[in-house]
Amino acid sequence: MKRINILIVAIVAVFAFASAGKAQSNFAVGATLEDFTLSDTNGKSRSFNQLKGKNGTVLVFLSAQCPVVKMYNERISKIAADYAAKGINFIGINSNVTESLEWVKSNAEENYKFPVLIDKGNVWADKLGATVTPEVYFFNEKNALLYHGAIDNDRSGKNISDNFLRAAFDAKLEGKTISKTKSNAFGCTIKRVNG
Amino acid sequence: MKNLHVFPAKAAKIIVFGFLLIQFFTLEINSQTKDAKKSLPVKAETAAALPKVTQVDASGLKNILKTNGKPLLVNFWATWCDPCREEFPDLVKIDADYGETLDFITVSLDDVEELNSGVPKFLAEMKAEMPAYLLSTQEEDTVISSVSKDWQGGLPFTILYDAEGKTAYSRMGKVKIDVLRAEINKLLPAAVK
Repeated sequence: MKRINILIVAIVAVFAFASAGKAQSNFAVGATLEDFTLSDTNGKSRSFNQLKGKNGTVLVFLSAQCPVVKMYNERISKIAADYAAKGINFIGINSNVTESLEWVKSNAEENYKFPVLIDKGNVWADKLGATVTPEVYFFNEKNALLYHGAIDNDRSGKNISDNFLRAAFDAKLEGKTISKTKSNAFGCTIKRVNG
Repeated sequence: MKNLHVFPAKAAKIIVFGFLLIQFFTLEINSQTKDAKKSLPVKAETAAALPKVTQVDASGLKNILKTNGKPLLVNFWATWCDPCREEFPDLVKIDADYGETLDFITVSLDDVEELNSGVPKFLAEMKAEMPAYLLSTQEEDTVISSVSKDWQGGLPFTILYDAEGKTAYSRMGKVKIDVLRAEINKLLPAAVK
């Protein structure tokens, strides 16, 4: 039994490390997200519609170990706090097979005030086509995708000249057209259960 | 009388223990001093052997991605990226095996502060001899798009251009080394495969 367990862990690890990270998905700006339910880091079932904001919702793909996410954590918390008051909610989602629940939970408690959902089997990463962390999807109140990609244009945070996500929020809140609806998120490849 | 007999035995034990303790610390200090003396030339030697890493910006990257009559393999990586580090030995082997028939460069996306430290140190550990660059740009999004439509920003990213500069193969995530070799082979004359 022990041997079988070790074998299973080894197979999962091999698949995880060999992951190509390229998700095939047609989920593009304008598409509508169906409601879904996942467990949060406390094991509680949470649905997207329960957690969404009255003016919009951000689904942010996170990792407990990715150095790029670590560089963004302070900015993510600040943006989430700034816009929570304006009716835009953040929901974290972790799809990395290589990160244990305990690890994700302690990291979430340390860094975020919003819930972090556990995407077992990277089902939602696949459906949305998320490939890296951090990567954000901003939906309006009807769950239509308005912006997808990076939070801003500088992972170090030292030379930000384009605050993509804040700009999308502001345009949405002001009823204007979002000028940039798609950017490339730079970061760590999501470690999937299969390539 | 009994007490008199016990006292010297205890005292002897304490003296022996104390002696051993002094010996232990003397040996420890000597060994540390020797280690410190030994480590100095080794460190100097390592520093001297660190490979050169050239910093490039977005336009510099465009130039280094131009082919020069041969297929060109480019690996985008970073020291903090575990899959990048894991696949590196295989890439070094590819560079050694294909030699002059293939141009191969690596482009690190580490912070520019790692230009003369973390990046060359890792390359030295890997015994990597490919020309090494570090991309420093405020336009990561634009750069990612310009390299390939198939690169969504995750690392590692490996791209193979044919001799004319057309993309022959690309992969985000760890490469499957046999697949990469097969793709390179397709671009080479039968005699050099």
